[in-house]
Amino acid sequence: METLIAKYNYWIYTLLMMVGLYAMLAKNNLVKKVIGMSIFQTAIIIFYVSIGAKEGATIPILMHSHEETVRTVEYVNPLPHVLMLTAIVVSVATLGVALSIALRIHQEYGTLEEEEILDQIQGL
Amino acid sequence: MIWCFDFIILLMLVTCAFAAIWSKGLLSAGMILSAYSFLMALLWTEMGAVDVAFTEAAVGAGVSTVFMIAVVYHTRRFIQPRRYGRMFFKLMGLLATLILGGLSLYAASDFPSWADPSEPASLHVAPYYIENTIRDTAVPNVVTSVLADYRGFDTMFETTVILTAGLVAHAVLRRLGRRRDPNRKTNDGRPVEAHTSIVVQRIARIMVPFIQLYALYVVAHGHHSPGGGFQGGVILGASFILVGLAYNIQTVLARFSEPLGVLLANTGVLLYAGIGVACMVLGANFLDYGILSRVLPGTSPVMARSHAMLGVEIGVAIAVSAIMVSIYINTASKGYHDQGL
Repeated sequence: METLIAKYNYWIYTLLMMVGLYAMLAKNNLVKKVIGMSIFQTAIIIFYVSIGAKEGATIPILMHSHEETVRTVEYVNPLPHVLMLTAIVVSVATLGVALSIALRIHQEYGTLEEEEILDQIQGL
Repeated sequence: MIWCFDFIILLMLVTCAFAAIWSKGLLSAGMILSAYSFLMALLWTEMGAVDVAFTEAAVGAGVSTVFMIAVVYHTRRFIQPRRYGRMFFKLMGLLATLILGGLSLYAASDFPSWADPSEPASLHVAPYYIENTIRDTAVPNVVTSVLADYRGFDTMFETTVILTAGLVAHAVLRRLGRRRDPNRKTNDGRPVEAHTSIVVQRIARIMVPFIQLYALYVVAHGHHSPGGGFQGGVILGASFILVGLAYNIQTVLARFSEPLGVLLANTGVLLYAGIGVACMVLGANFLDYGILSRVLPGTSPVMARSHAMLGVEIGVAIAVSAIMVSIYINTASKGYHDQGL
């Protein structure tokens, strides 16, 4: 039980991920699905970023000290930051594509509700 | 790490996530998502991920909200009630979510505890970057040096992904010719009048030059402070989006025409790849910037790396800003490029 409380951050990331996944699977409206995708992406990103965090460390920009050796424990792990920084910009690009497709679907079918679109495709 | 601060923000994040998913109004869901992104940026700043937080504040809380509003504006403000229940699908979705969440929580017990300095992710290759970035590249911001140099390949193809996404949005939405219903109508049949506010226009007019100057600063100063090509590019694009919101699409297109946007987006990626190819021409590996000291006058290989990283960041900024403006113009005008929000 103590280990569970000590790792409450993973509980919350998982909860955010589940909210996003549920919205993508079960919501009827396409914009809601896109919002779910956004939440899912940020849940993954926060998981990575929190892996890079270190107790008592500062931001990964080195102090100007060219002579002294740099001590790794003083700086947060920069690698997850790099990977996630590009992931965020890619996520806005995918959001743009998803919303464009939703807009196009609305032009074609006049609705954004999944079941109505399915009905129209099946000719009901 | 401040325990209570983290906990409160995480709780607010969960609340925002639930509210965004279950609110009936799509516009309010978009705004709640913007608040969610901003809280996320706050949390990341607190975790020490300043570059990531900067990107999220510019992208998640800023530009993506505008895209969302543009789509909601052209479609519907509220979700429609279901005509018949689909409890089976909802339950299946819930079941899949619960299984995945349960498995993740089961795995979470094996993860290192939060902010443990000796966790595996911080031991393998990350210490090398922190210890050697000054010696290898003379760039104190480790995130920038890893982004543009140590892992330059990743970043180049991420930029290509963004270019592809912009082209896809353009291909999906762009419509040539005139709109069949040039005067949009409200729900009760009256034509929509263009709402132009003199206050908003004046403020935008004053702010835009400063926003653009700040964007250039963020790109140019990314070596020494949080920022870089992605953030600067998004801010530069956001300044044009602000013009589009305060005035109209025509005003943006007069300054940032469609062919220019496509040209700039491709130029940015080409600049990145071109620097890589220049390294190959001089006899080193692709994106091995050190060799560029032969052509850049008066530079050591270390400073050549620093300068080449600036060139790469500029390429990224050009591409990202052009793509952001392009996606905004296409979503805001439904691809007709005549009138916007």
